[in-house]
Amino acid sequence: MTELLNDSIVKQLEDFFGQLTGEVKIFLFTSRDKQEACETTSQLLFEVSSLSPKISMIVVDSDAKPSLARQYQVEGKAPALVITALDKTADGSEQITDYGIRLLGVPAGHEFGTLIQDILLVSGRNSGLSDELRAYVQGLSEPLHLEVFATPG
Amino acid sequence: MLAHQIAMENPAMVLAEGISAQDFYELASEYGVSGVPDTVINGKGRVVGAVPEKQMLSQLMKQFNK
Repeated sequence: MTELLNDSIVKQLEDFFGQLTGEVKIFLFTSRDKQEACETTSQLLFEVSSLSPKISMIVVDSDAKPSLARQYQVEGKAPALVITALDKTADGSEQITDYGIRLLGVPAGHEFGTLIQDILLVSGRNSGLSDELRAYVQGLSEPLHLEVFATPG
Repeated sequence: MLAHQIAMENPAMVLAEGISAQDFYELASEYGVSGVPDTVINGKGRVVGAVPEKQMLSQLMKQFNK
């Protein structure tokens, strides 16, 4: 299969990923209804995650594991990426922190940039928000659902 | 993406989805998305364009009346 990332992008990503501190685990939820888009996303994610030992990926078949798709709030939204933090507990087991970060659709064009930013963001375990917005968001007592539409650039 | 930074601060309350309008065109057309980025807040409020944090904060305050 032809690689999706060319040498120049690979080189840039390797530079970016040199800054990674914490580990990042990306869940890709797939569905047979969106097979082609899911395969493209899977290959893209494989190529990205292979550029750093700090990035791992797991592919979840939403059709076979609907309860997991429900748990991560990505039912009927394939291909869906859930970008989480991976830490090891004292006993060596994996601890996943879900920050509520999702990318829906093939992360191409502009969305590819967002995926890379998300990896850096989650790896740093710091939102980087201003104190004012940070305090407001932390004080929210009602659910907030943000749907940000973009198109592949 | 600002929405993802926001989610990170309170993931128990916030879900932030970056959505490809091309792959999810039905949802995008349901909301009447034309220019991007276009942020839909709790299915109602709108922020069109990439806005600075202060503007996003004022939209959120408007949404929650506080």
